[in-house]
Amino acid sequence: MFNKVLIANRGEIAVRIIRACREMGLQTVAVYSEADRQALHVRYADEAFLIGPPLARESYLRIDKLIEVAKRSGADAVHPGYGFLAEREDFALACADEEITFIGPRPDAIARMGDKMIARKMVNSAGVPVVPGTMADEELPNDELLRLAPDIGFPLLIKATAGGGGKGMRAVHSLEEMPVLLQSARREAEASFGDGNVYLEKMIENARHIEFQILADEQGNMIHLGERECSIQRRHQKLLEEAPSPFIYHNEEFRRQMGEVAVKAAQSVNYNNAGTIEFIVDKDGNYFFLEMNTRLQVEHPITELITGLDIVKEQIRIARGRQLRYVQDDIKLKGWAIECRINAEDPYNNFLPSTGKIELSLLPTGPGVRVDTGVYPGFEITPYYDSMISKLIVWGETRAEAILRMRRALEEYRILGVKTNIPFHQHLLDQHRFMAGQFDTKFVEERFSMEEAEEGKVTHPEIAAILAAIVAHNQTQAAAQIVQRNERDTSNWKWVGRWERMHR
Amino acid sequence: MKYVVTINDREYQIEILDENRIIVDGTQLEVDYLSVSGQPIYSLIVNGYSYEAFVSSSDDEWQVMMHGNLYDARVEDERERRLRAALRSLASEHMEFQLKAPMPGLVVVIPVSEGQEINKGDVLLILESMKMQNELKSPRAGTVRNIRVAPGASVEQKQVLLSVE
Repeated sequence: MFNKVLIANRGEIAVRIIRACREMGLQTVAVYSEADRQALHVRYADEAFLIGPPLARESYLRIDKLIEVAKRSGADAVHPGYGFLAEREDFALACADEEITFIGPRPDAIARMGDKMIARKMVNSAGVPVVPGTMADEELPNDELLRLAPDIGFPLLIKATAGGGGKGMRAVHSLEEMPVLLQSARREAEASFGDGNVYLEKMIENARHIEFQILADEQGNMIHLGERECSIQRRHQKLLEEAPSPFIYHNEEFRRQMGEVAVKAAQSVNYNNAGTIEFIVDKDGNYFFLEMNTRLQVEHPITELITGLDIVKEQIRIARGRQLRYVQDDIKLKGWAIECRINAEDPYNNFLPSTGKIELSLLPTGPGVRVDTGVYPGFEITPYYDSMISKLIVWGETRAEAILRMRRALEEYRILGVKTNIPFHQHLLDQHRFMAGQFDTKFVEERFSMEEAEEGKVTHPEIAAILAAIVAHNQTQAAAQIVQRNERDTSNWKWVGRWERMHR
Repeated sequence: MKYVVTINDREYQIEILDENRIIVDGTQLEVDYLSVSGQPIYSLIVNGYSYEAFVSSSDDEWQVMMHGNLYDARVEDERERRLRAALRSLASEHMEFQLKAPMPGLVVVIPVSEGQEINKGDVLLILESMKMQNELKSPRAGTVRNIRVAPGASVEQKQVLLSVE
């Protein structure tokens, strides 16, 4: 059984994992790049080691350096977090070679679910429905994909077999535009994953993205922790998640069925530890396996809030060889949770990433509010890593209470120094369609605008005008005083006397 | 001191009498104003109603962020107002727009070429930063001039990439 955990990650998720370890009495080892010396995870861990320059491929993606730090520090387990090396079979194998426990699934499960084409075949043969598309064993060249495309039907999606997070993904509406899109998808996949292989999948219209959290121990017991609704996305990046899904809501039978299918999909690769089965659900309630994420998800806290479980601690217990403490019937969902991903990007300017030093960060607090973050005032947001700076998570007794609480929390949240997407979330939570739970994965891109305020929303342009006038006025006055600072209204003797008293 | 503040084409006549009294469009109001922890977050109490907003400035405009709404405000005194009116009749349309990098990054693609006529909203350049490919669009129609970078180039924040005139 291990006692010291190396966290092969950075940012909020590294902090999250350190917290779980602390509560379990485990020693923690942080790693950091030259850009992250001041990061919170470095400050919170028991030990911290520099592993290289800011670029991820020279630091956080260097398996050799991570193994070296594990051996040097005596860490006997590694938690990979999400992103970086979390879904890399070679990293899990490298840990196993050194007899370091990898807190996650076995390498072969990572490999099989990581190749999206193999995953489709595996789960399909286990009786899990998949989105219609190419089902080949080997890499298909462009001319073959172009030949198969009309049979699948347009619109369709080009997806990277090594993919995730929308990288190397393209929507195709006609055969004519497909060759160009194939090329750009392969280029992006090659750049992101070092593998330019792609496959085709029919595009499900008005689709919702609903996923199930899985927990499985090493003794073969497996349960799910209910679903998460992740349809609010922009360019395939999730922005807001909620649990349960308003689409499933009180339909316990639907949840039970989908949950069973999710477990079956995970069992098809003998999965162990925590993982997530992602489904695409059409407007009629037909659902298709999309992919499995063989790691901790960004949005895991919303499941924690409605189940009362600590998923990271469960991961650690499972990796220590413990049996699951629950059977499926023990899992009861209570209330509603929402997570807003707070990103350093400007919603008023096409969501362009924003870099700079955090000058102020006033976190929302109070009943039912949780913030997972890795930043603090003085921390520099650099262009080297992704733009998420925190996750604001709330719990409410009902969906309505959760929405109102999230609005309240967003209003309390103050971050200065970088632009954030907080105003985006505020607009989104005011949308009638969002409140009614009527949205799909295209909602943000096609039916949402920062300019249009929802009807009935109270605005205060006159107060804004007063504030602008006062701030501008004070600035002009201050500037005038600087110019006139040599003109004293009192005698020089009096002035010197005051000055001396002040500095005494 | 008298100011004219313009928000969404609506003009507000605001006179600041002293620290606690202002006149807005002819109505006198009691105000109490304070910056929070020395930061550009301001707490304003107007006739007993409490507001809080983040106020910043860029170029010649002020941005007021309040209750999830962003207000772009132009604040002018009488002299500035006349000056702008005179300038507006002269130029504006013929001014050159310089596309600057909004953040450090890597130039991925430049889908336009010099001399090309473009429309407002056309993509001028794709810049990769924070693992995302970001489309930089033209704020107005015009002709592309002086492309100063090539695909693959690393650029610094605020570096001029190309111009539209």
